Amino acid sequence: MTLEAIDVHHGYDGETVLEGVSLSVPSGEVLAIIGPSGVGKSTLLRLLALFDAPDRGEIEFGSERVWTGSQQRRLEFRRRIGMVFQEASLFDATVRRNAEYGLRVRQSWIGRLRRELSALVGMPAETIEAMEALETVGLQEKANQDAASLSGGEAQRVAFARALAYEPDVLLLDEPTSDLDPRNTAVIENAVLEAKKRGIGVAIATHDMHQAERIADRVAVLLGDGVIEVGDTETVFESPADERTRKFIDGELIY
Amino acid sequence: MSLASGLAVLTPLVVEFPFEWNYVRSIVRVSLYVSLTAVALSTLVSLPVALLVGFKEFRGKTLLTSVINTGMGFPSVVVGLVVLFAISNQGPFGSWDLVFTTEAMIISQFVLAAPVITGVSLAAVSSVEQNVRDAAYALGGTRVDVAIVTIKEARYGIATAVLAGFGRAISEVGSVLIVGGNIAASDGTSVTRTLTTAIQLEAEQGRFETAMLLGAILVVLVLVVNAIVVRLGNGGGRYG
Repeated sequence: MTLEAIDVHHGYDGETVLEGVSLSVPSGEVLAIIGPSGVGKSTLLRLLALFDAPDRGEIEFGSERVWTGSQQRRLEFRRRIGMVFQEASLFDATVRRNAEYGLRVRQSWIGRLRRELSALVGMPAETIEAMEALETVGLQEKANQDAASLSGGEAQRVAFARALAYEPDVLLLDEPTSDLDPRNTAVIENAVLEAKKRGIGVAIATHDMHQAERIADRVAVLLGDGVIEVGDTETVFESPADERTRKFIDGELIY
Repeated sequence: MSLASGLAVLTPLVVEFPFEWNYVRSIVRVSLYVSLTAVALSTLVSLPVALLVGFKEFRGKTLLTSVINTGMGFPSVVVGLVVLFAISNQGPFGSWDLVFTTEAMIISQFVLAAPVITGVSLAAVSSVEQNVRDAAYALGGTRVDVAIVTIKEARYGIATAVLAGFGRAISEVGSVLIVGGNIAASDGTSVTRTLTTAIQLEAEQGRFETAMLLGAILVVLVLVVNAIVVRLGNGGGRYG
């Protein structure tokens, strides 16, 4: 199942951020979106996560236009996408409750009410998928801790598990490791590769070139005039087709 | 009056209770029924309004915010007068026959509590970070799910809002006196008499000790309700 942006234009308050951007996130592949800060990487990911409709252009999921369908259809699409932000933004609850959130909102209201009542009487129902997702990021032991008691790195790992727990078709990661130490970064990167093995398509916005080289199958370079180059990671880094890509990778482009 | 001398006055009153139990029970029942119903209704209306004002842009938002803020300090006697006019024979709701009923008292307390609960809840929900709301949406939440997350994240502030509204309602004298009439039945039990209006009556007749005893009962009631609401707020945190 491929998530695609096709000739997308978007801006805020009359200022253009994205101009004619096209790229695709196919299943079982990691796409790194690299580019300097403020170039529109987050805006692009938010469009792909269906937060907003693009001003022009199309977002397609499985070759189906997302914004021409009904609101219910759009909700179905949204529920096949997971997103992790630069900040963990965990809910004020236990780690387990955070990891279960995506699964919980997909249940019927009666099912949710039953779970809430079980939790209230001290018999919280355990969700296997959420525990497996926590295991992927090595935090199953902390399932019953308050999320507020976690370190920044652990919190981000929970945020990743929270998006992984409901097995999305596509994962969108907006600079998820930019504030993390090398150990937590490695855990997240391994979890990304694990998600890829399960057939999940991953798009990760990063300005860490080494990270892109380590985990991405393809790289899209976004330099303010739309995506200027998309290709295999090795090709983009070793012999880029566009001179601006080479200059950006070599640190010669100043923004 | 020092604490010791106050206790010295109250102790014999508690031992030789100067009221019929039925009378006190009926006053407490009317007070709680009126105030809790008014606060529950206010909360049901105030929370959606707070979420709407907090997160939606619409024409008249500034005006609505000003109305809410003004309402927080609205004089209760004026509210009582306006409600009395509305439900009196000449008023638009005259046919409903509400004058000197507990329902009229609920309406006036609703008008007093709703702006307080809305205003304090608005501050609480506005402090919930956009990132957290975005996370709920990105994880597949609908607008209702995002609203539920916002309420859970703001639960301590909302509990404070409910308590402030309850405090405003149960300690209210002016408007409930005007629209309720402070009526007791022929058997001595309360019809529209609340703890506050009963205290006012006792004090007016010079029975300060009994007024103080009723005041003590009122304080205990407020403490119990506060404890329950705070407990519920913490419970929401445990399972949130």
